[in-house]
Amino acid sequence: MSSDAPEQSADATETEAQSTAAEAAAEAAAAHAEEAAAAVAEGDHLLSMEAVDAYYGQSHILRDLSMHVEEGEVCALLGRNGAGKTTTLRSIAGARPPDVRDGTVSFKGENITERSTEDISSLGISLVPEERRVFPNLTVEENLHLSDVARNWSNTFGRDVSMDHPGMTTAEVYEVFPRLEERASQKAGTLSGGEQQMLAIARALKQDTDLLMLDEPYEGLAPQIIETVEDAIEQIAEKGTTILLVEQNAVAAMNIADRAYVVDQGSIVFAGDSEELRADERTRERYLGV
Amino acid sequence: MLLLQSEIASILLNGLQQGAIYALLGIGLTIILGTMEFLNLAHGALYLVGAYVGLIVFQETTLTNGFLYSIGITSLGFDGGFLAAIVLVPVIGFGIGLLMERFVAEPFYDRPETDQLLVTFGLALIVEETIKNVIGGNTFQSIAPSTLFGVNVSQPVSLPFVGLFPSWRLLIIVITFFVIGVTYLAIERTDFGLVVQAGTRDSEMVRLLGIKINRSYSLVFALGAALAAFAGLIGASIQTISPQIGTTQALVPAFLTIVVGGAGSVRGAIAGGMVLGLIISAMTQTYSQWAQIVLYLFVALMLVFRPQGLFGTAEVGE
Repeated sequence: MSSDAPEQSADATETEAQSTAAEAAAEAAAAHAEEAAAAVAEGDHLLSMEAVDAYYGQSHILRDLSMHVEEGEVCALLGRNGAGKTTTLRSIAGARPPDVRDGTVSFKGENITERSTEDISSLGISLVPEERRVFPNLTVEENLHLSDVARNWSNTFGRDVSMDHPGMTTAEVYEVFPRLEERASQKAGTLSGGEQQMLAIARALKQDTDLLMLDEPYEGLAPQIIETVEDAIEQIAEKGTTILLVEQNAVAAMNIADRAYVVDQGSIVFAGDSEELRADERTRERYLGV
Repeated sequence: MLLLQSEIASILLNGLQQGAIYALLGIGLTIILGTMEFLNLAHGALYLVGAYVGLIVFQETTLTNGFLYSIGITSLGFDGGFLAAIVLVPVIGFGIGLLMERFVAEPFYDRPETDQLLVTFGLALIVEETIKNVIGGNTFQSIAPSTLFGVNVSQPVSLPFVGLFPSWRLLIIVITFFVIGVTYLAIERTDFGLVVQAGTRDSEMVRLLGIKINRSYSLVFALGAALAAFAGLIGASIQTISPQIGTTQALVPAFLTIVVGGAGSVRGAIAGGMVLGLIISAMTQTYSQWAQIVLYLFVALMLVFRPQGLFGTAEVGE
């Protein structure tokens, strides 16, 4: 990750020089967004973001960002470091900051822009955050059990959690990640980076998830571990869970994504299927550096 | 100085007894700090309330005076009253904790720590001054019962290795360790405890999992308050009672306890309380005029060489 830092700053200068081109691309994306808006009216999309403006304090991070995710697809959100990918996921999940000041986020046709993080999670959106954020002081099993607690408490407190994709049982997630079963009684803080990533994904799978959001799941992982995680994600996708995958590593993401968005400076600058993005050398070079 | 075996044994017992009170205070403070990242300087005020509720119950249930005497019940006395206080004080603390969380703490969760310190310190002063005005600024004698369930607890008992040891202090060790044990199990062995433990590390991630941690917050705050009030009642049964004890006997030791144990760790609060209790007890029995100096020096050295405490992972205040 640190090795490509100089490359990024070089790219940034380049981007400024080509800002007019970026604007043109943004316009194209805006047209796409309008199309998306029309579809939302018909309730077609599982998730849609409409002209979202989000801020971190005074910094304007997401600018008029619109995108949507269809039921059952693997959608990639690509872009370089600082483009606004994580902010997008946090805006969807209802995590604050960022402060979403304009635009709407809808899930299954319901406006969730103002809903609390807990509610949004209970509605069926799970986030596997960039830093994994497993609870280091709890064992693997306890980390996984927290998802059961979430479900039980939601039910106890009268929330209707009838989900399209009920969460897996602990036994089922152990099938996906056998390594976790071996480590069941170990504190999560003692796991390797790859194992923590598995645990973070496993935890999300145990939730009643209709949309799984993965923030840079391959970051900092050794190549063989990347393969394991990639296999798991494919397995999950095959079972019909919708996935929104955020990646800086565009090549890895395009391997498993059906469709991709490219975000730059908080706006969508490309939207299309993975084939189109592979063919679009200019977009790849300009915004992804590949 | 050579210590006799019996002296060492009584240092240990006194240390456990004082340490258990510190642990009760430290657990409450540390779970509130850990889960809500809320620094509660009013924690000592809850100890103060616990002590004075005990005092009022004592005054109203004596054989020759007070409420019970005035309505003609003269046989119960404080021995029954203390049992009532043991139930009443944690319940009152719990209630105050719920109110404090809702009306004092919650509006300040997202405010800077300095604001939290100011509002809770202000609250502590309000409680202290109110007690001075209503009950008086004078110092009262400790309020230990003389018998409990018909058993005489005012006389020393003879223990192996120790020799004579006040039976009430012995009973305190049993009672406080029982409460600490129950609290520890509630945190370690229940779903509520699991959420609290997770919340002490990353409350946003808990919410991202769909858990309404705010409900747990009120419960955690109330639990911490109940423990502090209970500690106040126990403290009042062995030490003199005055409006200053909320700070001197409770708030400061509670902070020292979590500095030693590690912020956010229940195990740390228990261990920290015991370590401090033993230091105080050992110094009091040997070079008592150096007790405070050694205590603070020890905590200062902890801060320098092990700022995360015995069981903590993050630095205090991080």
